[in-house]
Amino acid sequence: MAVTSSDTHFLDIPDVVLTIIFSLVADTRTRNAMSLVCLKWHLLERSTRKSLTLRGNVRDLFLLPTCFRAVTDLDLSLLSPWGHPLLDSFPNPLLLAQFLRHAFPSVVSLTVYVRNPSTLHLLAPQWPDLRHIKLIRWHQRLPTLPLGIEFVALFEHCRMLSSLDVSHFHCWTEDLPPAIQAYPMLAASLSQLNILKHSSVEGFKSHELLAITASCPNLRELLATCIFDHRFVGFVSDETLLALASNCPSLSLLHLVDATSLSNVRPDLNDDGYTSEDASISRSILCDVFAGLPLLEVLVLDVCHNVRDAWPALELLNSKCPRLKSLKLGQFHGICSGVDSRPDGIALCHGLESLSIKNSADLTDNSLEAISLGCPKLSKFEVLGCKKISAKGIRKLTHVLRNTLVDVKISSCKNLNVVSLLQTMEPIRDRIERLHIDCVWKNADNSVKQTASSNGETRLKKKNKSRDNSFCSRTWSKLQHLSLWIAVGDCSGERRPCTGSLGLRYLARYPSLSRMLLDCSGVIGYGLTAPPGYPDLSLWERFFLYGIENLNLNELNYWPAQDMDVNQRSLFLPAAALLAQCGSLRKLFIHGTANEHFMMFLLRIPTLRDVQLREDYYPAPENDMCTEMRAESCRRFEDALKSINRHIPD
Amino acid sequence: MGIVEEAHNLKVLGSGDRLIVLAHGFGTDQSVWKHLVPHLVDDFRVVLYDNMGAGTTNPDYFDFNRYATLEGYAFDLLAILEELRFDSCIFVGHSVSAMVGVIASISRPDLFSKIIMISASPRYLNDVDYYGGFEQEDLDQLFEAMGSNYKAWCSGFAPLAVGGDMESVAVQEFSRTLFNMRPDIALSVAQTIFQSDMRQILSLVTVPCHIIQSVKDLAVPVVVSEYLHQNLGSESIVEVMTSDGHLPQLSSPDIVIPVLLKHIRYDISTA
Repeated sequence: MAVTSSDTHFLDIPDVVLTIIFSLVADTRTRNAMSLVCLKWHLLERSTRKSLTLRGNVRDLFLLPTCFRAVTDLDLSLLSPWGHPLLDSFPNPLLLAQFLRHAFPSVVSLTVYVRNPSTLHLLAPQWPDLRHIKLIRWHQRLPTLPLGIEFVALFEHCRMLSSLDVSHFHCWTEDLPPAIQAYPMLAASLSQLNILKHSSVEGFKSHELLAITASCPNLRELLATCIFDHRFVGFVSDETLLALASNCPSLSLLHLVDATSLSNVRPDLNDDGYTSEDASISRSILCDVFAGLPLLEVLVLDVCHNVRDAWPALELLNSKCPRLKSLKLGQFHGICSGVDSRPDGIALCHGLESLSIKNSADLTDNSLEAISLGCPKLSKFEVLGCKKISAKGIRKLTHVLRNTLVDVKISSCKNLNVVSLLQTMEPIRDRIERLHIDCVWKNADNSVKQTASSNGETRLKKKNKSRDNSFCSRTWSKLQHLSLWIAVGDCSGERRPCTGSLGLRYLARYPSLSRMLLDCSGVIGYGLTAPPGYPDLSLWERFFLYGIENLNLNELNYWPAQDMDVNQRSLFLPAAALLAQCGSLRKLFIHGTANEHFMMFLLRIPTLRDVQLREDYYPAPENDMCTEMRAESCRRFEDALKSINRHIPD
Repeated sequence: MGIVEEAHNLKVLGSGDRLIVLAHGFGTDQSVWKHLVPHLVDDFRVVLYDNMGAGTTNPDYFDFNRYATLEGYAFDLLAILEELRFDSCIFVGHSVSAMVGVIASISRPDLFSKIIMISASPRYLNDVDYYGGFEQEDLDQLFEAMGSNYKAWCSGFAPLAVGGDMESVAVQEFSRTLFNMRPDIALSVAQTIFQSDMRQILSLVTVPCHIIQSVKDLAVPVVVSEYLHQNLGSESIVEVMTSDGHLPQLSSPDIVIPVLLKHIRYDISTA
C-alpha cells in the first residue's frame, strides 16, 4: 500500500489559496454547506460570497444578516410580499434603507422591484457607486407620475452607472429619453442598455431610439423593442437604422425586436408564410448598417414584417462583421437559396456559432444543407415557423453538424411532427444538451384554436425517451434541458378535457428530473364566470397537473391558465391539491395568485422551503381588489412555512 | 387594526356622506366587486369585506358552530357596522349574503336604509308549492363530492372533486365557487346554505329591498325573485337583467353596473 506520507490536510492550505478556491464555488447550497464546517470556513465563505438574493418577508428586514459584506451583486426583487412597494410599510423607511447599505456596503450590481418611485428615492443614494442596475415592475406605471421621474432619481445618485436593464420594468417609452438627455455624462459612460421591454407590448419609437443612442455613443450592448410596422408612427426605417449604427459604432451586441414578437401568441402568417405588410428596410441599407458596426458579435433582428431578398446583405455580414458569432433573424426571406448545394447568403457566415431563423417563408431543405456546410461551427440552431422545410433537411443539417450541435430548437414548422423530428435528431442524440420540440402528432393541426401551450423545461440525465416506443433502446446521454410544446385545444369551448390527463406521470421515468417549468399560461378559459354549462379552468387544472406527484421534483415554476376577461391567473382546488402531493418539492413558484386556504395545503409538503406567488406578467393585478393573496395572508403562510414544527430532513 | 377589520380584510374606500356596504357571496371574496367600486368611490364611502370562511381569510377564525346557520354571518355583519359607527348604510348583498343582510336588518333595522339583493334566494331546495331550483338528488351529488373532498383532505390525499363534475347544471353553476374554500369549511358552508330556509322571516323585514337578478341564472330561477317580492314584509321592487349566470357583476359588468347604480341612487317610490 503506497502511502504518500504527507500529513498535509486541506486546512493546511494557506488562507490566500483557500480564499481563491472558495471564491470559485458558485452554487448556493454548496456554499451554505461549506459555511457550516467550522468558524474559519464560515468566515471565508462569507467573505467570498459575491452574489446574494434576499428572500424573506420585508417585515423582518431588521433581521437582515450583516455577515455578507462582500456581496457585490444583490437581488432585492424577490422579497415578500412579492411586488409590494419595498419600504412603504415602515414608519421610518430611510433608516431601513441605510441599514441595507450597512449590511451590503460593497454592492455594485442591484436588482430591485420598483413599485413606485419612493423605492428608488430611498435606495439609490445608498449605493452611489452602483455600476449595474436592473429594475423590475410588472404592475402598471401610475399615470400621474411625471415623465422619467424614476430614472432621474436613479441617475441623480448613481453617477457611475454603466449598465441599465429595464426589460422587465413597465414604464412608458417616453420616460427614458428625457432622463438620459438630462444626464449627459452618465449617458456617455453607459455601455449596456437593455430596453427590450417584455413587460408591455409597446415598442420604442424611432425618434426615441435615436435620442437615446445619440446620448450614449459608447454603448457596447443595446437591446430594444421597436416598431417595424410602417403604418405606425415612429416605425423603424432605413434612416433609423443608419443613424443608430452611426450613433453607436462600438456595439458588439444588438437586439432589435418588434414589440409584437414578445406577446406569446404564435404568429399569424398567411399560407405562404409572409406577413401582409413588408418592413421598410432595404437590403442596401442593411449593408451599410453592417458596415457601420464592425465590432458586432451578437445580432438579433426580429422584424415581424417581411424583409425580402436579404441574401446580399447577409453575405456582406461575413466580411463587415468578422466577429459575428450569434445571429437571429425574424421574417427575413431569401436568406439562403442553397442552389447546387453551394453556400450562399447566410451560409457564407462561417464564423457563426449560434443561428436562429424565424418565419422565413422560403427556407428550404436545400437552404438547410447549405447552411450546415457553410457554418461548420454551429453549436446552437433554432428554426421557428418555417413552412417549407421538412425532416429531410433537418436530418442533413444534424448529420453535417453532428460534431458541434448541442442546442436545437424546432418549433411551429408545419411539415414536421414529433416522430420525424426525433428521427432527425439521431446523429446528435449522444451530444445534444438542450432540445425543444413541438409535440405535434399529426401533420395538420386539427385543433380549432391553438390557444394552449405547455412547456416543460427539465433536467435529465441518462434516460430513455418516453413517448415513442421505437426509440426506447437508445439513450440521450447528455440531454439536460428538454422543452416541449403541447397543443391542447380551445379551453373556452364546450369541450371538457378528456377523462385522462396530460400524462405528466410518464415523466416519472426520469428519476433525475428535478426542475420543471410548467407553463400553462397559453391556456385561456373561464375561471369563476363560465357561462352555464361551460367547463371552467379548475377542470383543466386537474387535467394538466394529474400525475405530478409521481415526479421527484425539487423545484417547480408553474404558470396557471388564464381567465383573460378578468385578468386572473390563479390556483384552484385541483392545482393546490395536486401540488401538495409532490412530496419532494423544495421550491415552488407560482406565477399567478392563490388564496390563503389553498396556499395552506402546500404546508403538507415536508421538504418545502421556498414558496412565492409572483405575478410577473403584465399587467400584474393591483392589490386589494384583484389579488387573492393579501399581505397578511402572505405573512401567515410564510410564518407557517418557517415554523419550528416543520422538520426539514436536509 | 381591530380584530374585526383584520379578520374580514375590511376596506373603506372613497368619500361621501352615505355608506355602501358590499357583501360578496360564498366562495368568492370582495374582489367580485372590482368592476363596481370605481363607479362608487366618488360619491359614497364604500365598505368591502370578506366573509369568514372565504378563501382569503384565516381559516382558523372559522367557528363551525357559529357559522352553522346564517345568523352567525349576520352577527359578523352587525359587528362590522358597529365598528364603523355609521348611522345607516345601503347594503348590497350577493347571493347568500343578501339573506344575511336581511337577517341582520330584522334585528337592527336602524342600521340599514335599504337592501339591494343580487341573485338572492330564500331557499334553494324545492318544496311543496315552492320552486327553489334544486332537487334533493342534485344536492346529494354535491354533498357526496364535498364529502369525498373532506375525507381526502383529512387523510392527506388530494381533494379533486370540483363543481364541473356535477351533472346538474344548476348545481355546477352555484357550487363552482363553493369549491374555492378549504374542504371542511366548504362542506360546512354548503350544508348551511342548502339547509337554510328564510321564507318564514321575510315577512319580518321592514327595510326596503331592491331585488335584482339575471334572467338566466341556473341557481336562482326568476320565480324566486317574484316570491321574494310577494313575501317581503317591506316594500320591494324587482328588476330582472338580461345577464347570464350567478355572478353577473363579474361576468357581465356592462349590463349590471348601470342597474346597480340606478338602484343605489334611487329609492322605491311610495306612490
